[in-house]
Amino acid sequence: MIDTLRLALAYIRFHAVKSAVLVVTLAAILAVPVGVSRLMAAAEESLLARAEATPFLIGARGSRLDLAMSALYFSDDLPEPTTMAAADAVWDSDLAAAIPLHLGFSARGLPIVGTTLDYFDFRSLSVAQGRGLALLGEAVLGAEAAQRLSLGPGSRLVSSPDNLFDLSGAYPLAMTVVGVLTPKGTADDRAVFVDVKTAWVIAGVGHGHDDVVPTEAELAAADTSAPLQADPAIVEFTEITPENIESFHFHGEPSRFPISAVIALPYDARAGAILQGRYLEPDRNDQIAVPREVIAGLLSQLFRIKSLIDAVVVTVGAAALLAVGLAVYLSLQLRRPEMATAFKLGGRRALIARLVAVESGLLLGAAIALAAAIAIGFEYVAADAAVWLIAQAAA
Amino acid sequence: MKPLRNALLGFALGCAVGAAAADERLTVYAVNAPLATFAERLAGDKAKVVMPVPPGRDPAFWRPSIADIAAVQAADLILLNGAGYAQWTTKTSLPRAKLVDSARAFTEAFIVIETITHSHGPEGEHSHQGIASHTWLDFAQAAQQAEAIAQALSRRLPDEKDAIAAALTVLKADLAALDARARSLGERLSGVALIASHPRYQYFARAYGLAIESLDWEAGETPSPEQWATFDALVTESGARALIWEGKPSDEAATSLAERGLAGSIFTTGANRGPADPGFVALMQRNLDDLDRVAETIATD
Repeated sequence: MIDTLRLALAYIRFHAVKSAVLVVTLAAILAVPVGVSRLMAAAEESLLARAEATPFLIGARGSRLDLAMSALYFSDDLPEPTTMAAADAVWDSDLAAAIPLHLGFSARGLPIVGTTLDYFDFRSLSVAQGRGLALLGEAVLGAEAAQRLSLGPGSRLVSSPDNLFDLSGAYPLAMTVVGVLTPKGTADDRAVFVDVKTAWVIAGVGHGHDDVVPTEAELAAADTSAPLQADPAIVEFTEITPENIESFHFHGEPSRFPISAVIALPYDARAGAILQGRYLEPDRNDQIAVPREVIAGLLSQLFRIKSLIDAVVVTVGAAALLAVGLAVYLSLQLRRPEMATAFKLGGRRALIARLVAVESGLLLGAAIALAAAIAIGFEYVAADAAVWLIAQAAA
Repeated sequence: MKPLRNALLGFALGCAVGAAAADERLTVYAVNAPLATFAERLAGDKAKVVMPVPPGRDPAFWRPSIADIAAVQAADLILLNGAGYAQWTTKTSLPRAKLVDSARAFTEAFIVIETITHSHGPEGEHSHQGIASHTWLDFAQAAQQAEAIAQALSRRLPDEKDAIAAALTVLKADLAALDARARSLGERLSGVALIASHPRYQYFARAYGLAIESLDWEAGETPSPEQWATFDALVTESGARALIWEGKPSDEAATSLAERGLAGSIFTTGANRGPADPGFVALMQRNLDDLDRVAETIATD
């Protein structure tokens, strides 16, 4: 038996390249379905975990999927905007806490999330470097965002303009990075967090500029019945500094300021049911969504796709197996003279069959070992890969 | 409702459900002295009430440091005056779950005022604009603010609900007494034009039927000849009989006023606490005493 094993190993060594190709092909055929399955499971887990941790989302009437995907994963497909009145209404209901989210702006390709400090408590986000948000114009980066942008506390980050050709659109605002968050393995890692008021400054709802105070001479010459008007040439500040922060102000009623969604956190199950009931009235222009249900719906769609992927994987795998079988058959055909020589040298047919079986067993064993290693590797990276996939899908 | 429970567990805000244990003192930050006094009277020894503005600074225009902001963020409750008071709160990041807008019940009653931009003190140039913010000088509004604070404290200290309600009853009685006295004073000063050294008294004037024109003088500073000229013109125009000082005037200023034949009254808004703080109710009683004296003088004349 030892001799057979030695001969089989010698044969494999002699045909190292052919053997390696066979092992890798077999390993891939075995590992790919396992990997895809793990990746899908991890994506499902990741999607559901964040959705389940978010009791309700409130936003303008429209696509619930857009509302959930943007509020949970900061996707590019934004829901219809709503106003701070939606968050105030939740607070006033005395049924739930409300966390506003302003989405849609970005900085160097990463989403800017305008919110209140309550969001950090809610998602259990802690600061790894620097400090949390304190003043208007400050930003805190998710761990991945900080790494990708190579920024840290003290750096400046400029928001991207909405549209280069829209002069009335959002101005780029230079923000000061004051902190970097501890990685959480969620969409928060790749976000740029600012106070919702800072998001409103980017949106142009709030701004800072030199004082619009007329001189004595201008006052004397002016028509006192006319309202005081700012010079059109007045320059708005594009960065909030300790020197100019006092000049920043907001125009209009805060309850009308725009936001994208509200995370509602009911105080108990009964309060949650009552809150949900209030949004059932058909004439309301806002809606409440249960993220768990929305994401479960999305996943059921994904699972249909997964069945298709599974069928494709099985078909391709079967075809690959057939190809491997053919390769083995052809290889055996090619080795006929070699086997005939072995027979003439006194080798019994059983010995030759055992030699081929041991060679095949070794190759199959190596392929299974490699497939197992790949599968274990998938276990380690599946969660990250799933987050990456979700992020790519969201973007 | 497992997700809900998880969410709530993770959401360490406490807001309505997160009742602090009765033996733990809440930390309550107030943006001005009246709110701090109300919170102290309502919570008693169950709360540590902090008014972070140093003495001598105007809480409406105070600018906190990063350390101050961090301390406020860490509080259990943050009492806002509303009506645009303490502009720093609109430029800082504060947890909404801890904020109590004490004037939310009467936003419809806010007084819109003209914009006046000026500069003084360590706060630098600032503006009185948009909405009059000294809401507590209408004592009925002050009672509503006290109610809002009591409600927030009761949520945080459910075991102390009855004690807070009892304290609120006493506080509201004190404020009602101030309100009644101010109404009576308003009736006596009906038709008498008054001038205030600083634009602070819009709610007081509206609530008690007083006609008060405002200047823009700083408490304790002696007005310049130009300021006196403006004052004289205003007196001629309005027929004012008395000047309400926001703080104790300099001897020179008091003499100049007396020479013009006008009475002077000190009416401190109580926004910040002095070295010897008599408390909100006593301070307002003192203000009304002084205004009472002026009413007496005018009646005698």
